[in-house]
Amino acid sequence: MEATTKLTTLAALPLMLLLLVMGVALPADLRSLTIDIMIFSIYAMAFDLLFGISNQLSIGQAMFFGVGAYGVLLPALRMGVGLWAAMLMALTLCLTLALVLGPLAVRLSEAYFVIITIIFGMIFYFLAMSWTWLTGGSDGLTFEVPPITLGFISYSVYDPIANYYFTLTFFIIVYFILKRIMDSPLGMILVSIRESEERTKFLGYDVVRYKLTAYVISAIFTGLSGALYAIRCRYASAEYFSIFISVEPIIWTLIGGAGTLVGPIVGVALLTPIAYYISALWKHYLIIVGLIMVLIFRFSPKGIMGYIVSKIRRW
Amino acid sequence: MVETLLEMALLELAEKLLFTIANGVVWALITALVALGLSFIFGLMGIVNVAHGELYTLGAVLTWYSLTRLGSFWLGIALAPLAVGALGSVLERFAIRPVEGRPAYTVIVTVGIAFVIQQAVLATFGGWPQVMPDPMPIVVHFAGVRYPAYRIFVAAVSVLALMGLWSFLHKTSLGLSIRAAMQDRDMASAMGIPVSSIYVITFSLGAALAALGGALAAPIVQLHYLMGLDILCLAFIVVIIGGLGSLKGTFVTSLIICPLENVLSLFITPTEARVVSFVVMATVLLLRPRGLFGTIVR
Repeated sequence: MEATTKLTTLAALPLMLLLLVMGVALPADLRSLTIDIMIFSIYAMAFDLLFGISNQLSIGQAMFFGVGAYGVLLPALRMGVGLWAAMLMALTLCLTLALVLGPLAVRLSEAYFVIITIIFGMIFYFLAMSWTWLTGGSDGLTFEVPPITLGFISYSVYDPIANYYFTLTFFIIVYFILKRIMDSPLGMILVSIRESEERTKFLGYDVVRYKLTAYVISAIFTGLSGALYAIRCRYASAEYFSIFISVEPIIWTLIGGAGTLVGPIVGVALLTPIAYYISALWKHYLIIVGLIMVLIFRFSPKGIMGYIVSKIRRW
Repeated sequence: MVETLLEMALLELAEKLLFTIANGVVWALITALVALGLSFIFGLMGIVNVAHGELYTLGAVLTWYSLTRLGSFWLGIALAPLAVGALGSVLERFAIRPVEGRPAYTVIVTVGIAFVIQQAVLATFGGWPQVMPDPMPIVVHFAGVRYPAYRIFVAAVSVLALMGLWSFLHKTSLGLSIRAAMQDRDMASAMGIPVSSIYVITFSLGAALAALGGALAAPIVQLHYLMGLDILCLAFIVVIIGGLGSLKGTFVTSLIICPLENVLSLFITPTEARVVSFVVMATVLLLRPRGLFGTIVR
C-alpha cells in the first residue's frame, strides 16, 4: 500500500504537467485519442474502486455509462437544457439508479452479485434497444450542447483544444477524489472487506453499507464518463449499454493492475490505441480480448502496476 | 347475434391463450435444459458460466450446419450435444480449472470464452439471422387446439432428457459421486472420489444439455450469433429465483417464468415481459436472498 502511494505521488505530478502540455503540443489525431483515453480512464478508475478495492465484480456498469450518456443527451436534445444542468441531471439519474438497484445487489454473495449485475446490464441493454422512441435504438441520436460560459469567456466544447482541457479537468478531479477515498478510512475498510468480509463484519463495520457506498460512488463516476463520451461524440446509442462496454473495464483493470488506481489508467492507455488499430485491421479482434480474459490469471494475475509495485517493494 | 360474436371472440382468445401457454411450457423445458446445467455447474464447482449461452448457440448453429451440409437435421440433434460436451470438457480442464472456486474469476474467464465463441460463430456463420425450416411440418389437433408436432417432440425430448438427468444423478454411482462432491468436496475427495474427473464430467454434461437445448430450439427461434445472450439472461433469472445450485428450484421456476413471459407478451413487448420477470426476481431476492429453493451459501 505504502509503495503504491509513494509511487503514485512521485509519478502523478510530472504526468499532470505532461498532460497539460500535451493539449496544445499533440497533433489532432493523437489529441483526440488522448481525450478518449482520459474519458475511459474515469470509467476504469470508477470500476477499480468497485472491483479492485472492494472486490465487487459488476458486469453491468454499462448501465451507468449509458444512463450517463443519455442523461446528458435527452435533456439537451428534448428540453434544450444547458451543458452543466444536463450533466448534473445525468449524474443525479445515475445516483438515483444506484441507490435503487444497489441495495438489492450488494447484500448478496460474490456469485449472486455478479449474476445480478449481468442481469441489470442486459435488461437495460434490451430496453434501450427496444425503446427506440426514447433512445434511437442502435442507430442512436445526435445532439449538440450550446457553448458554455465561464465568467466572461464563452467557448464551445467542440473546439478540440477546449474539449481536451474540459476532459482533462474532470480526469484530474476524479483521480484526486478517488485517490483521496482510497487513502481514507473508507478506502481502508473497503480493502479489508475485500480481504475478508467476515472479519470486517466481526470488527463491527456495517459491511453492506460500505459496499453500497463504493457501488454508488462508482456508479456516479461511470455515469460521468458516459456523459463526457456522449458530449464528445455528440451522439449516444443503445450500444452504449452493451455487454462489451461492461466488460471493457475488467480488461483495463486486470491488465493495468487491480486496486492500484493508476493501473487501470495504464490499462486504458495501452489497450485503447491497440483496440483502434487492430479493430481497423481485423474485425474479429474481440477474439483477442476474449483470449486475454481467459489467460490473464495464468500469466499476470496482478497486472502491470501490481508487478511494478512488487518489484519496488523488494528493492 | 351480439352474444355469439362475443362468444366467438372469447373462444378465440381462449384458444390463443392456450396456444401461448403451451408455447411457454415448451420454451420452459428448453430453458430448464440450459438453466439446469448452469445451476449444477455452479452448485458443484462454484463456476458462474457466462459462456453457457454461447454453448446453447453452438448447439443451434451446429444443428444448422448438420442440416445444410450433411442434409440431416436429426443427426444434428444427436451430434451437437456430443460435440459441445467434448468442447466443454476441454474448456473446464484447460481454461476454467486454474480459477475454480473464485466465482468472480470464473466469470471473467467464461466471459472471455463467450467472446471467442461469439466471434468464431460470427466469422463462420455470419452476422445475419437465419431461419430453419420446420423438420416436422405436421399439425396435431388436440381438444380443439391445433399445435405443431415439432414442439410436442421438443417437449417430449426435453422431459426425457430431464428425467435422464435425474435418474443419472440419483440412480447411478457416478451420479452419487457427483452429488457427494457437490455436498462436500474435500470429504468426497478423502473418500476416494476422483473429484477432478467428476468436475470435467459435470461441466461437459452441463455443456451438452445447453447444446441440446440449442439444437431443439433451432427450428423454433431465429439463429443468430448473439442468440445466447437472451437465453443466458433468462436462465440467470430462473436460476436466481429458484436458488443457485438447486435443480428442483431451477426446474419449477422455469415452468412458472416462461409461460408467464409468453402470456404477458400478448399484451406488452417481450422485452417489457422480461422486465416483469426481473421484477419478480428482485422481489424474491428481497424476501429470500438465496432464492426459493436455495440452500448453498457461496
